[in-house]
Amino acid sequence: MTNKRRSRLELIYDILLSVQNKGGTIKPTHLMYKSNLSHKLLNNYLEELIGKELIVIEEIPSRKKKVPSKVINLTDKGSGFLAEYRRMREFTDAFGL
Amino acid sequence: MYQLFFTPQWFNGFDLVFEGIVLIIALLIAAYSWKIYKFSQENKFAYFSVAFITIALSFIFKIFTHSVLYFSPIRDVTAIALQPLVGTGLEFADLFYRSAFFGQMFLMLAALLLIFFIAQKSRERLTKLYEVSQMALFMYLIFLISFVANFKYAVFYLTSSVILGLIVVQYYKNYLNADKNKNTFNVMLGFLFILIGNLFFVFVYLYNQLYVFGEVFMLIGFLILLRTYRKIKQVRA
Repeated sequence: MTNKRRSRLELIYDILLSVQNKGGTIKPTHLMYKSNLSHKLLNNYLEELIGKELIVIEEIPSRKKKVPSKVINLTDKGSGFLAEYRRMREFTDAFGL
Repeated sequence: MYQLFFTPQWFNGFDLVFEGIVLIIALLIAAYSWKIYKFSQENKFAYFSVAFITIALSFIFKIFTHSVLYFSPIRDVTAIALQPLVGTGLEFADLFYRSAFFGQMFLMLAALLLIFFIAQKSRERLTKLYEVSQMALFMYLIFLISFVANFKYAVFYLTSSVILGLIVVQYYKNYLNADKNKNTFNVMLGFLFILIGNLFFVFVYLYNQLYVFGEVFMLIGFLILLRTYRKIKQVRA
């Protein structure tokens, strides 16, 4: 693992990639571990991603709990962002930026 | 009419088409880099975009001056349009063409230098004060070279060849650092062809047919950059 600080864009990419790697749906706790972010920081990013319509929060009724559990779903726009981000990274690497 | 150097007559017009293609390629790369800048808000992408816009502007100057030199209808229309500005005297008209050549050279050298700076170092480089002062000094030298090159055009191509040589070396290092990525290699190859084209331009005063080789190599260089750009755009998720 490198010590290099991730940029804002890289963090967003890592969050979305974690959701995509789980088949497009992930629980918030799993996402926190996968993206290696604190609870507070992850919530800030999630709010931003919801605002940009890259993810949606779905509430699933639970039999055991009274409160429905939440899952995070990747939207089509989110998948599109991941594809575009890869292209941007390719461009950055190719032109040495 | 003032002419900086003489090109083979049979090639007049073809070079304008070549430069038109190069201009479009430069604008495409600039547009994509600007898109990344809007997305990431990282300055290096904006600088890279500006560099390619500057290349495109330089080619606009070149296309304009060469069209005026090659085609008498355009020359006549330009002469009529500019008469209120430059008068009927030939010396003023020459001054106008010299300014246009100066614009072409200055913009191209500035763009190449900017690409060299961006490709050379890490992201913080362009924000530091000492780097800005270094760039100001280089801009002065470019200004001086562009001025002198108005009398001896080879100075311009010699200088651009040196900067392009540095860019090629930089991209070769980038290629080695990027685990021999094919797109990185193609970018280096593209700039290498542009460099070879520039070296042909240096010696046009000896044999004017070398201008054709220079134009062809430059076009191939930019087409390689276009191919790389297209390959990047086709990357799938």
